[in-house]
Amino acid sequence: MENATSDLFFAGIDIGSTMSKAVIMDAEGVVRAYVVGPSGAEHRRRANKLMEDVLQKANLTLDDIAYIISTGYGRVNVPFADKQVTELTCHARGVASLFPDVRTAIDIGGQDAKVLKIRNGKLIDFLTNDKCAAGTGRFLEFAAETLGLDLNEMGHISLQTDMPVKINSPCTIFVQQEIISHLSEGTPLPDILAGVYIAITTRVVKLARQLKVDPPVVFTGGVAKNVGMVKAMETVLGMPVLVPQEPLITGALGAAILARDQAFQMVQKGEYVIHRDKKLGEAIIDYGGKNSR
Amino acid sequence: MSGYFLGIDIGSVGSKAVIIDDHRIVASVVVPSGTNYATTAANLKADILKRAGLQTGDIRASAVTGTGGRNVGIEGYHGVIICDARGVNITFPTAKTIIDIGGQGSQIITINEAGQVIDFNASEICATGSARLLQLVARILQVSMDDIGPLSLKAAKPSSFSTSCSVFLETEVITRISQGDKPADILAGIHWSIAEKISAISRGVTLKEDIVIIGGGALDMGLVKSIEEKLGMEALVPDNPRIIAALGAAAIARQ
Repeated sequence: MENATSDLFFAGIDIGSTMSKAVIMDAEGVVRAYVVGPSGAEHRRRANKLMEDVLQKANLTLDDIAYIISTGYGRVNVPFADKQVTELTCHARGVASLFPDVRTAIDIGGQDAKVLKIRNGKLIDFLTNDKCAAGTGRFLEFAAETLGLDLNEMGHISLQTDMPVKINSPCTIFVQQEIISHLSEGTPLPDILAGVYIAITTRVVKLARQLKVDPPVVFTGGVAKNVGMVKAMETVLGMPVLVPQEPLITGALGAAILARDQAFQMVQKGEYVIHRDKKLGEAIIDYGGKNSR
Repeated sequence: MSGYFLGIDIGSVGSKAVIIDDHRIVASVVVPSGTNYATTAANLKADILKRAGLQTGDIRASAVTGTGGRNVGIEGYHGVIICDARGVNITFPTAKTIIDIGGQGSQIITINEAGQVIDFNASEICATGSARLLQLVARILQVSMDDIGPLSLKAAKPSSFSTSCSVFLETEVITRISQGDKPADILAGIHWSIAEKISAISRGVTLKEDIVIIGGGALDMGLVKSIEEKLGMEALVPDNPRIIAALGAAAIARQ
C-alpha cells in the first residue's frame, strides 16, 4: 500500500490532571476536530472515549489516523498512541504554531503551572510548579466552591472592580477562611474575586520571573479561559498577554503537529505509517459519565 | 514586681490566656479564636479572671501577642517570636531551639540561655507546615485529633506520599485508603510529610539542643516523634504546649 501523504491524518491526545484534550490534524496542518473533557479517575477509559469522540467529530475512523502522539500527565495511559512526548515539548510546539513570535508561555492547568521560555519556536528553558495548589486551577476551584459560584461567572464578576482586596494566604486551604472573613466584613464580591485572581497570578508570575518574562507572552491552560485571570495576569505582569482562541488544547495541538512531522519523516524514509494494530479496545463503553463535549 | 500578670495570645485558630504570679502559672484557658478577635480577647480575659478567682484590678500588668493580637483593646503587643522565646525559656531554661507548630504555619527560633532570640525562620502560610493538615486528615479518617498521635505510633509501614501540598495530600490520602493502607500508616506518612516541611523551614538555622516543640502540633506525639527522627534529635514538649506564647507574654508583662 502506498502512502500518499496528502490523505493522511494525525492525532494528538493530552491527558491532563483535570482535563483531557484530543486534536485531529490533516496533512495540510489544519485542525479538523478537537474535543475537551474531564480526565476523571480512569485515564484509559477516558482516552478511548476521547479518541472515539474526536474521530466521530472529524468523521474519521482510527484506521485513518497515520500517527498518534500522547502527552500530558496521563500520557502512559493511552494504549493506542504510537509515541509519548512530554507536555512541555508539545506545549511549546503548539503555542509556537499559533504565535510564531512567542518568547514566554505561561500555562496554568488544573493542578500545576508551567512557564516556558521559547526562542524561534523552540523550548529553551522552563519551570514548573506541581508542589503547591496555590498558583493552579485548584486554587480557583476552592474559591468558587466557597462562594458557590461557577468559575466562568466568577471571572466576569471580578471585572466589575478596580479595587481588588489583598488576599494574604498563599495557601489554598486557608484562602476559604480569608474569603469568608472578607465577606463577613462586607467587602464587595468583585473586589474579593479580583483579589483571588491577583493572588494566584502573583504566585505564578513569581515563578515566571525566575526565567525573566520576555514579551510576547502567551497565556494558556484551562485557567486562561477565565477573563478575570487574563486581566489579573496583565496587571501583575504589567504587559499584555495573548490567549489562544482555545487555550486548553495547545498541548494536544503540539502533539498532533509532532505526529504529523514524525509521519512525514517516516514516509520520506519509505516506511509505512498506517499500520494500526492497536484498537480502541472494549473500554470504549461509556459508563454514563458526562459527555465529553 | 509582685502580683498577678496576664498574657493573651490571639492565634489564627486558638486563643490562649495565662495568668502568672511571681513563681507559677495560676490559670490558663484555650478557646477557638472565632472571627471577632476583640470580642474573643475580652471574653478570654473575663473567663480567665473568673477561673483564677481574680478581679481586673488584681492584674498588675498584661501583654498580648499572636497573629490576631493587634488592636484587640489590650495594651502591650509583643511579637510571637519574642513571646515564644520567653515562654520556652521560663519553662525549659536549657532550651536552645524552639519549633512552634501553629494553626497556619510553623516557625523555628533559636535562643540563648537568657531566652533572647538569636535567629528564626517562619514558613509562609501553608497548611502542610501547620496543624491544619492533621485536622484535614483526621476528618477523612474519622479519627479524633486526640487519637491521631497514639494511633500513628502503631504504624507498621508508613504510607508514602508524592506531594507536599495539603490540597493534593487530601486526594492522595483517599487514594491510599482505597488501596488498603491502614489509618495508622496513613497518619504516620502524613506526620513524615509535616516533619519534612518543618525540616525545610529549619534550613539555614543552626539547631542546638535542647529542642522544644510547642504549639497545637506538639500535642500530637506521633508528629513529635517524626520530627525527632527527621532532625535526628530528641525534643522536649511542655505539658501544655499551646499556651507557651501567652505564658511568654505574661512573663514579659511581669518584667
